[in-house]
Amino acid sequence: MSAEKILEQLRGAVLKYDSDAAVSAAKAVIHAKMDPLQAIEKGLVPAIHDVGEKFEKMEIYLPELMLAGDAMKSALALLLPLVPKGEKTSKATVVIGTVQGDVHEIGKNIVSSMLMAGGFEVIDLGVNVKTSTFVDEAKARGAKIIGASALMSSTIGSQKDIIDYLSASGDRRRFTVLVGGGPTTQEWSDEIGADGWGKNAVHAVKLASKAVKGR
Amino acid sequence: MVQILDVMQKALEGKPMSETDYQLRSFAAKVNEKVKEYDIHFDRNTPIPDDPTLADDAFQAAFDLVVEVGAYCTNTNRVISYTESEVKEALRFAPSEIEFGEGKDRRKLRPRSVGDKNPPWCLLGAGGGACSSEQSFLALVEGYAEIPEANAITTPALTRVGGMRIRPASPLEVLGAQRNAVLFREACNRVGRQGMPVMNALSTAESDIALAGAMHPKYGLRQSDGYMICCMDPMKVDFARLNKATVALGLGGPIGMCFGPMMGGYAGGPEGTAISNIAHHMMGILTYQASWFLPFPLHLRYVSSSCRELLWLISLSGQAISRNTHLLSVNLNYTSAGPSTLMCLLETSASVTAAVTSGLHIESLGVASNKEEDRTTPVEPRISAEVGHAVAGMSLADANELVTRLVKGYEDKLQAPPLGKMLFEAWDADRRRPSKDYIAVLKEYRKKMKSLGIGVRGGPWA
Ligand code: B12
Repeated sequence: MSAEKILEQLRGAVLKYDSDAAVSAAKAVIHAKMDPLQAIEKGLVPAIHDVGEKFEKMEIYLPELMLAGDAMKSALALLLPLVPKGEKTSKATVVIGTVQGDVHEIGKNIVSSMLMAGGFEVIDLGVNVKTSTFVDEAKARGAKIIGASALMSSTIGSQKDIIDYLSASGDRRRFTVLVGGGPTTQEWSDEIGADGWGKNAVHAVKLASKAVKGR
Repeated sequence: MVQILDVMQKALEGKPMSETDYQLRSFAAKVNEKVKEYDIHFDRNTPIPDDPTLADDAFQAAFDLVVEVGAYCTNTNRVISYTESEVKEALRFAPSEIEFGEGKDRRKLRPRSVGDKNPPWCLLGAGGGACSSEQSFLALVEGYAEIPEANAITTPALTRVGGMRIRPASPLEVLGAQRNAVLFREACNRVGRQGMPVMNALSTAESDIALAGAMHPKYGLRQSDGYMICCMDPMKVDFARLNKATVALGLGGPIGMCFGPMMGGYAGGPEGTAISNIAHHMMGILTYQASWFLPFPLHLRYVSSSCRELLWLISLSGQAISRNTHLLSVNLNYTSAGPSTLMCLLETSASVTAAVTSGLHIESLGVASNKEEDRTTPVEPRISAEVGHAVAGMSLADANELVTRLVKGYEDKLQAPPLGKMLFEAWDADRRRPSKDYIAVLKEYRKKMKSLGIGVRGGPWA
């Protein structure tokens, strides 16, 4: 199979939200001894970018967005380990989750998928995530960015906890902490000393990209 | 009849599945399939559809969905499945009337039909919106309890106790929930409506322990209040929520399941979200032993229920439920715009009309997406109730015309709505009346409604 055809398969798998097809296409990349980085950047990334744009226009909905993200992840799981160390694959790794005591997940899922579409490696910790888990996972996965979503006035306090926890252990400057979710505001973000407040998913991607450039 | 022990057994022994597989590969895929199978189509030009076959098809699609997909328990990662005969039996045995309240404020909630002349049950208030202080809590609830149409109240949620921000499942939340109960009764007593029921017991109790902690009669909750427990979209439950249901059943308090399927979310577009919305009713009787229902479908972007898609899906759901069941369904609406704006009043008028003419009762309302503390006043629910009474008996065709004209007045502003004023800017609690500016808006609103053929008072102040 030609390299172009394999790239086409990678793109198609993401655009059709098909994890199995993504895995076969990734295997074809390996079999044909193609450059894995090229496969990611020319195959997967443009496709997920398209998906993100369609979601923004509400041409597709949350399940498609998340399934496309899943398809991309399945291909990345095979390709990423083959990228030589030192070569840049993603802009940065982001650890994201909804804070402790809070089970609202839709906004967080959108942000997480759109970050992936924006070229970030995203580790989604799910909902009801303990403060220490955000920090431990960020350290363990070599993440530069921590994203914390909170939808209730009773749970936004946990966003402050994450920042206090990092400060107390002297790790505050190692991470960019972004916060968001319905009741949060720029003022709240400033008050707790977060590095950025994301009004929506597009804004979240901008903030994360800015954070990477700033470093 | 499926009971709570059966639900637990199913949750412990059901088919194991990851949450992602359940919601994306099982639920979302099946909804899509049903939309196609039953050929359900949204039409922008008919926000209030008048097609009984469409409503019955949507109901059947929802029934299939419950049977084919089931609910999901996030603690055990298992599917809670129900057979066709279990769903049918649940629909048959679900209560067709419940009494709420005490003394002269005791009333019966009964099912309505499409075009029903009987006014809707008016569950009025903040829809659980957050308030910043006990002072704002009392100002709001006193204002709600004074609304003549009010059958029951939906209180705001307290966010602070003793100067500290409440944390979930902490002693602060237990104390907050107890205070929520006490202050509710205090506010009703102050305006002479001692028997008024609260039907979102208890909004401050997000966790199971906080609800249980506020159940002692000395805090004032009664068996004749309504116990509202949310289900996690789509059709997901966990032990904490099942605990709440078990506690409420123990007290004998009627459980209302609330569910907020987002259009654009797991169920896709307006068609799929309507099916999901209807399906949640059936899932709620079975899983939570719910005897009344509180759908609050919302648009994912606008986080409100006043755009054409949402009006259509509220109406279709209402018609499907009222034509095919005797379930007691109370639709909660959200506006995008805030207090003291004409847009907010027009939005709630449209959503209430869609619900009431399609056979639903109303809970009104979440103002300005219901996400900011204190961005709500007693005026908006009062207007919603007036509209609810005014449009009862209206035909679907007339409702379609009215709603189309209303929606044209604000739909281009949904992207960036005016957020209006805060509680104490727009409402004078001591004088129990809105601000001068707001009264001017009410006058304008009354004129606008009159030009559309609807006589509403706009409160006693306009
Ligand atoms: C849908 C919804 C639910 C659904 C959630 C379904 C799900 N699977 O997630 C269900 C029905 C399950 C639910 C449950 C509850 N809910 Co609720 N819910 C909502 C609602 C209506 C919308 C939330 C939403 O999904 N919005 C749409 C998404 C797209 O917006 P978003 O989350 O804000 O995300 C965007 C941005 O904020 C940003 N963003 C989000 N996260 C992040 C993170 C980062 C890092 C960045 C940069 C940006 C960012 O980008 C996103 C995309 O644009 C809100 C009201 C509101 N206006 O927010 C209430 C609301 C949040 N819920 C509320 C409550 C009270 C509850 C319950 C406690 C009800 C109950 N009594 O059981 C339970 C919660 C239980 C718990 N412990 O968590 C209250 C909270 C009040 C308060 N105290 O502050 C609200 C405000 C409604 C209200 N006023 O009553 N809820």
